[in-house]
Amino acid sequence: MIAAVAPLDGDVRMTVSRPGRIWDLVARQAASHGGPVSATDACVAAVAAVQVTGAWLSAASGTELPGHLMSVTDAVGERLAELQLRLGEGPSPDAAANGGPVLAADLGETESDRRWPVFAPAARRAGAAAVFTFPLRIGAIRAGVMGLYRDRAGQLDDMQLGDALLFADAAALLLVSAGQLGEPAAGAGPGGQSADLAGHRAEIDQATGMLTEQLGVGVTEAFIRLRAYAYAHDRPLGDLARDIVARRLRLGPDPDSSEDDQA
Amino acid sequence: MDGELLSDTFVELTDTMVAGFDVIDFLHVLTDRSVQLLDVEAAGLLLADPRGELRVVAASSEAARLIELFQLQNDQGPCLDCYRSGLPVHVKDLAAEAGRWPRFAPAARQAGFTAVQALPMRLRDQVIGALNLFRAGQGTFATADVRVGQALADVATIGLLHERTMRRSEILNEQLQTALNSRVVIEQAKGKLAERLGVDMDQAFSLLRDTARAGNRRLSELAQAFVDGTETLAGPAFGQPRPGSWRKP
Repeated sequence: MIAAVAPLDGDVRMTVSRPGRIWDLVARQAASHGGPVSATDACVAAVAAVQVTGAWLSAASGTELPGHLMSVTDAVGERLAELQLRLGEGPSPDAAANGGPVLAADLGETESDRRWPVFAPAARRAGAAAVFTFPLRIGAIRAGVMGLYRDRAGQLDDMQLGDALLFADAAALLLVSAGQLGEPAAGAGPGGQSADLAGHRAEIDQATGMLTEQLGVGVTEAFIRLRAYAYAHDRPLGDLARDIVARRLRLGPDPDSSEDDQA
Repeated sequence: MDGELLSDTFVELTDTMVAGFDVIDFLHVLTDRSVQLLDVEAAGLLLADPRGELRVVAASSEAARLIELFQLQNDQGPCLDCYRSGLPVHVKDLAAEAGRWPRFAPAARQAGFTAVQALPMRLRDQVIGALNLFRAGQGTFATADVRVGQALADVATIGLLHERTMRRSEILNEQLQTALNSRVVIEQAKGKLAERLGVDMDQAFSLLRDTARAGNRRLSELAQAFVDGTETLAGPAFGQPRPGSWRKP
């Protein structure tokens, strides 16, 4: 049975607030331990919201995947993560290679044994019946992989899949933003950041690419600098991106003195 | 309609659906052929993301004004109505639709279009997206064109799946997300190349696509390598970096 794609809500505000709702859950998770928001909070919050049994998150080392294991929520999750790192086989490596999620709803089916002849039986023995892995990416930016597992077989329903993707988006953004001084928790403010994105995705992505040339940096750094400029100048990210794409604004190579080239 | 172009188009599209084919390029070819076959000025394919958005993945032109019209439809417009209802949406006269779509209709008219159509991309009983067509001339879409348009939308759905048997029902969701992420990579690559050469986004996209085809590479892979810096896109079409821009060592 094909998983139905989640119907878009009739109320525009509902459509916009789904990312906001996810960020709220991530922020609450952070508040529960009193530290700054991190990708671990997205991983942990996803477990309850998506109704899975456990999760793990690995962060890229530099730009290399698989990278290192950063978060786990239980022993089974840790086992699954370590198995895949050691074997180089499984939904996580596949997701990292494909650039798209791998949704293995039933590790007991023949197809799973065919795809992962060593991992699938080992994962079942460890207690996992279904595994869903999500590459943490913003286009060419590769930040890591998030994995969710369940102790019973079955697909994520549409809402759960959508939420899982949104948690993965949050985790990716938090990994990329980690350690950037002067910037608040990414997505801070209900819907403030995320409400902007849907209508300006193309511009934000294009502006990121343009900044790799303007600043002479890699794509991850360009994205960080774009967001940092928006924050420092108190401008919505989408508006800033539009100005850059329209060539009304150019950023100079020196982070302390941006050129405002008013054409 | 050119009958030979019609049959050639379907042969071309189905011929490319072999293992390992470039789905992103395929979807762009489909939007290009839609413009040629259907007497419309612009076409785009939008896909429904489980996150709750309609996202453009391919268009007959990457001009900013057109892409903007697709992005607007995340909130209102023919594609959103089509997606929700599962039914085609035909609008002969955008000037009469300002009440229905107060942001989309004026923006579409300002971009020079008079009529618009959205045809559902269907998979069994689900709607996964829409083929969006724009006309700049007289607004009625011919019946034969509507039928062919729907067939093209259906071929787009099959191409997205590019597997003849649905062994695993999660395939659609996996392929969809991969395509959506590839779109982001391509946008980043467009920006980088547009800035490097001082060209607009549409020209940058055409250069990327032509290079991918000439080298028999997937567009999404080329775009990724270009953004990563492992692909320099050498050749007479690609000039030197603009003065004042730094190159990463």
